Amino acid sequence: MKELQDLARKLLSEGTVKVVIGYEEGPRGARAAFITDPEQADPLIFDTRCVQNLAAYLNPRRKQIATLGKPAVVVKGCDARSVAGLIRENQIARDSVVIIAMQCGGVLENPDVAGELTSEAVSTRCGGCDVCEPKLFDHYIKSATAKTPPVNPKRTEQLAALAKMTPTERWNFWSEEFSRCIRCHACREACPMCFCVQCTAEKGTPLWIDAAATPRANRAWQTMRVLHQAGRCVDCLECERACPEHIPLGLLARYVADSVERRFEYKAGDDPSVPAPMGIYRTDDDEELIR
Amino acid sequence: MNIYQPYLMSIKEITDETVDTRTFRLEFKDPEVAEKFTFNAGQFGEYSVFGEGESTFCIASPSTRKGYIECSFKASGKVTRALRRLSVGDTLGFRGPYGNNFPLDNVMKGHNMLFIAGGIGLAPVRSVIWTCLDQRDQFKDVTIVYGARSVGDLVYKRELEEWGKRSDINLCLSVDPGGETPDWKGKIARIPTAVEESGVKAEDTFAVICGPPIMIKFTLPVLTKLGFPADHIYTTLENRMKCGLGKCGRCNIGPTYVCKDGPVFTAAQIRALPQEF
Amino acid sequence: MTQRFLSHADLTALVAELVAAKTRVIAPVRAKDDPEQLDYSPIQKLEEATFGTRLPRRSMKEFFLPVTEVLLRYQQTKEGVEIKATPTEAPPIVIFSATPCDASGLDVVDKVMSWDYQDELWFGRRKAATVVSFLCTAMDAVCFCTAVGLGPDSIQGSDVLLVPVEGGYLANVITPKGEALLKGKGKAEVPAGAEASAAAAQGEARKKVEANLPKIPAEFASWLAKNFDHPLWKTISLRCHGCGACASVCPTCHCFDIVDEHDSSTEGARRRNWDSCQTSKFTLHASGHNPRGSQNERFRQRIQHKFSIYPTKFGEILCTGCGRCARTCPGGMDLPTIIGELMTLAKTQPEGSSL
Repeated sequence: MKELQDLARKLLSEGTVKVVIGYEEGPRGARAAFITDPEQADPLIFDTRCVQNLAAYLNPRRKQIATLGKPAVVVKGCDARSVAGLIRENQIARDSVVIIAMQCGGVLENPDVAGELTSEAVSTRCGGCDVCEPKLFDHYIKSATAKTPPVNPKRTEQLAALAKMTPTERWNFWSEEFSRCIRCHACREACPMCFCVQCTAEKGTPLWIDAAATPRANRAWQTMRVLHQAGRCVDCLECERACPEHIPLGLLARYVADSVERRFEYKAGDDPSVPAPMGIYRTDDDEELIR
Repeated sequence: MNIYQPYLMSIKEITDETVDTRTFRLEFKDPEVAEKFTFNAGQFGEYSVFGEGESTFCIASPSTRKGYIECSFKASGKVTRALRRLSVGDTLGFRGPYGNNFPLDNVMKGHNMLFIAGGIGLAPVRSVIWTCLDQRDQFKDVTIVYGARSVGDLVYKRELEEWGKRSDINLCLSVDPGGETPDWKGKIARIPTAVEESGVKAEDTFAVICGPPIMIKFTLPVLTKLGFPADHIYTTLENRMKCGLGKCGRCNIGPTYVCKDGPVFTAAQIRALPQEF
Repeated sequence: MTQRFLSHADLTALVAELVAAKTRVIAPVRAKDDPEQLDYSPIQKLEEATFGTRLPRRSMKEFFLPVTEVLLRYQQTKEGVEIKATPTEAPPIVIFSATPCDASGLDVVDKVMSWDYQDELWFGRRKAATVVSFLCTAMDAVCFCTAVGLGPDSIQGSDVLLVPVEGGYLANVITPKGEALLKGKGKAEVPAGAEASAAAAQGEARKKVEANLPKIPAEFASWLAKNFDHPLWKTISLRCHGCGACASVCPTCHCFDIVDEHDSSTEGARRRNWDSCQTSKFTLHASGHNPRGSQNERFRQRIQHKFSIYPTKFGEILCTGCGRCARTCPGGMDLPTIIGELMTLAKTQPEGSSL
């Protein structure tokens, strides 16, 4: 990872950025690193355990990070789509962040256990990836070994099973999954695109969604959040990783993202200038109601 | 006994102190509770509108008066706005009394008292003032320095008038420069200046102070200058609360739970706290 | 403390008897979504349970402090409001194969729940529950129960501690509730060698987890308090999302919120719900002022509360060393490692920062 470490050293010592947000070796696998000292850039790594989408740390309301100064962020092609989303929705300016994109051949489903990227071991998000060679970046670090990742059949099977269900069956399936929700909102806090200053679920006047972990409130919260993510979610699975109840939130988000793609021929991409279908008003909108 | 079960209260009287501050006089619906309920000046409670939630206010009436309690509040959030929608005769909930109290009986009796308040900060101090005045002969000199941003922001105006007429109270009212009306007869100065010019002496005197943080910040040095030791200055702290009785883990400042170890603290105790409030 | 010997058949019969008597029986059961993992779940037969193999994913605290709990129900009437507070008596439950770290968590939280005001909703459930824990031999590199003064064979919070021996289990009967549960069950006479083999197993288990993190010294609590303003708090939690997943899986995190909700325009409930000091709005005032406005302050509160404030006030560290927080954290915050680093700092800077 010498190229990445050298780049970080250069960006910091020249004062181009004040912090490089990347990955380092943690006590149990890769974890986010915040390098502010050019002499401390050696810990930076990039391998198949670097699952986390670091774009979440660019949220300007994370005061403790924003006060460090202008960041550079290490992203995979998929993560870069979150950065594009933040720029597209005016949360950060393009020139307020230096994007270091890594050529990526996929990451592990379980990053605690290092190993080969077989189709059982690869993350369910990697299948069908079209941004292995990222397009949004200030610096691009190639990889000698990265190739198109295999498809993990688990996600394909889950999506197919959902698609075969009747609406009632799908409602029952998700009601069962949501019954475990404890309304901790870890999914929201880990998500790069959940950046609202006051979440709909935090509003008291009027109260849209009860705070308690009851079946009715859980269904309202989960469906509200995934619908607010429609067309914005990049399938990074941070929500699923964060959920202490192991609810398959990534499956839910992916199902909705696929619906958006079918309906609007749109997938949250890495070009900030391409507007999202639910994020733009057009006078020639298909829906007469909106026009 | 479910400790989260509130007493049911009936609103007996509503007074609008200012354009945004309202006082409720509340009576216990259960006559047995009305008979037995006691509290000490400085304590607070959780007042609730059923269906909207609970809100934390001090008990603004004196501990010497039985059968009712009073609270004053500004509509600033969901519950306080709901409280404002209630009318005389409506029911609300009350849990309390919680917290510690101003040590009138075992520390302050027999000494001079200086009461300082700003704006709605007079509410908790009012409880102490009336408890003191109801036993006036147990205290020596009583000085009250009270002010607000403008004449319109002064609360408990009827009582201010009453206190002003008494010869056994040295009352200094003030409004901030620009807050006076043409017929204003009181001082035009901020609280720290009003305290300094009140003529109060620190010797043998306990100070009770409550108001906006900025007022406290600039008044404490004046008190120190006048010679008040930090353990003779008492104030009451606010913090976000929910249970009010030490379990929900929300209101602590370092090792101090404001709802249990407070809300009444001396300036000396506050200085020793981690500055996270 | 007395001892009995129980065969596996004795235990199976005991569970069947409890279930027949309509007592709720909880034990670790293989998770539906991941059979490698265990969750504390109701069982009808002992064979549904998986004993002593690994730490269940979630702690037992939800059986004593539910994720959401009705405190009272209200109804608007013509005369005013009628309220019905939740009764504090709870139906009996028996928990089998609790890990000692989870069982001791209950005892630790008892301290705050009985601080002047008795939280009878909590204690109603505590009184109604019998906790049978199991010697833990499934520790991994993240466990640190011995560092906080507990261990894989801790009896704190347990009514019975089972240790597997040849032919069955050595049952250490700790409390009158444990005695009542095992009265007449198994054999009062413990087979020869069972005590010694149990002691050996317990000792081995202790050694394994002791290797992970040294015991936290008594002075650590006051060092943390003295170093409230140390610059370290500005750097150790940058990767923390403030998601609160750690608090939800923790056996000792007990912070809660109280909110009202409508069921209709005239009736509803007041509930208490799990909450966490890690969330951004936990300490937000109505005025907009927030004493803990960034994750730095919020994470500091987590460490200070668990390792300084609670021990100072109640004599117990608000942590059982189960490691769930580290295992669940999506941001890579590793509490045992952080505590280890803080302990090292405390040793090299005993007087604290010169700040």
